[in-house]
Amino acid sequence: MSELLAQLARVRAQGAPAALATLIGTSGATPREPGATMCVGAGGEILGTVTIGGCVDARVIETAPDVIATGEQRVVTMALGDDDAMLLGLTCGGTVELLLQRVDPRDTNTAMSRAYDAAGAVVAEARAAIVATPLTSDERITIDENGTRHGTLGDRALDDAVASRAREMIAAAAPPAVGRFAHGGAEMVIWLEVLAPPHEVVIVGATDVAIALTRFLDELGMRTIVVDGRERFATRERFPCATEIRVGMPSEIVAERVWTARTAAVLLAHDYKYELPVLRTVLRSGAGYIGMLGGRKRGSRLRTLLGEEGFSDGELSRIHTPIGLDIGAARSAEIALAVAAQLVAAFRGRVPLR
Amino acid sequence: MTPPVEHPYGAIIVEHFRHPRNQRTLGAGAVVAEGVNPLCGDRVRVELAIPEGSAVVADAAFTANACAICVAAASLLTEHLRGLALHSVLGLADATALRWLEAPIPTGRERCALLPLETARRAVAVMHTGAGVDRRLP
Repeated sequence: MSELLAQLARVRAQGAPAALATLIGTSGATPREPGATMCVGAGGEILGTVTIGGCVDARVIETAPDVIATGEQRVVTMALGDDDAMLLGLTCGGTVELLLQRVDPRDTNTAMSRAYDAAGAVVAEARAAIVATPLTSDERITIDENGTRHGTLGDRALDDAVASRAREMIAAAAPPAVGRFAHGGAEMVIWLEVLAPPHEVVIVGATDVAIALTRFLDELGMRTIVVDGRERFATRERFPCATEIRVGMPSEIVAERVWTARTAAVLLAHDYKYELPVLRTVLRSGAGYIGMLGGRKRGSRLRTLLGEEGFSDGELSRIHTPIGLDIGAARSAEIALAVAAQLVAAFRGRVPLR
Repeated sequence: MTPPVEHPYGAIIVEHFRHPRNQRTLGAGAVVAEGVNPLCGDRVRVELAIPEGSAVVADAAFTANACAICVAAASLLTEHLRGLALHSVLGLADATALRWLEAPIPTGRERCALLPLETARRAVAVMHTGAGVDRRLP
């Protein structure tokens, strides 16, 4: 579940209104990117952070009661850091633009509530959606990656323009952003919020490194599917944090999955009996990342074997081996940390990965 | 092209591992059984085409995520099963299957070499009794 949807679910569970602060713009250096959200309950409870602590969070918390009481949606601009911190150079020094909205779980019939419900349903089906929030209107529209719309901004031409932009953003895996659209002779500024299903990591080999990796990836909000041919190794007792555990022919389990840029194949078995059949499948898939545990020499030999089977240099170059960031990892948990970090880098589009 | 792999278990195993025969799936109606070595994780599925009313293996195929010895054994087995009477499949000796590999298999690895044969026997045996084998659905 996305961070925002998780926060909204928590607000709903608590049954009381909250203020939702969304970082929609930044200028200069800031510790978080647009799309970061923070919910503050009427009782001052905090869910997520728009900045990493600091004075902006404090001002959001101070403003929350008024947002909750009035229901008034507003955009505020705040500078990061106070004068003392700026004098000492101990602040990012940037400014942030925040969209503040009231979330009221008692009223499920608002445009906002319907928009996020629609988005939540799409994400639950492993598809991405965009919720479009005009900065000066209560209307909302949700567009999914197939172009299906829920809600309206009150103008068909505007809906069409926003839907078109939304589909482009989803296809490009673009980050959330403010969009500007011509409307009624003026410009309408709309926050285009991307809600995407969690990244999925298929881990082949129910090993100690895999156990630690599922813990790290669970914390990072990624789905993990542990795959092994051995029933006594791929168990819920050993993998309490795995999303799914599959025992069977690993190459067939892997072949059944839908591979997209949001999915990764991580081979931790350190055994060619699984690696070769699995690689034969994933190398020609749309997987966003393929990594394999093992040293350089072994990796090179495996690439040679697969090359002799007809895999191209381009296909073989997709295999990250040795796997993980180079942090000098030696213990299982350290290797898992290195792999988790490399997965974050891969999904964030940071290349090269080592 | 890399030079031939120096393999302690011989050229036949290397050849059948690198170029396995009959590694495919048969159509609907095949008799299917899957075997696994629970500790090392070798998994092999043996499929037999046995026409209705016949007692002879018309075709044999396998799928495996397994070590070189197991894959080679499965490849060789499926070559030998074609045309074999079902009672002969049940009567195939372990020693015969090991001999096909033309290499000394250490005792600790015999289980890898015999997994395909055990799986094939199981498929035929339960087919005779009509119980439990995972016959592919049409």
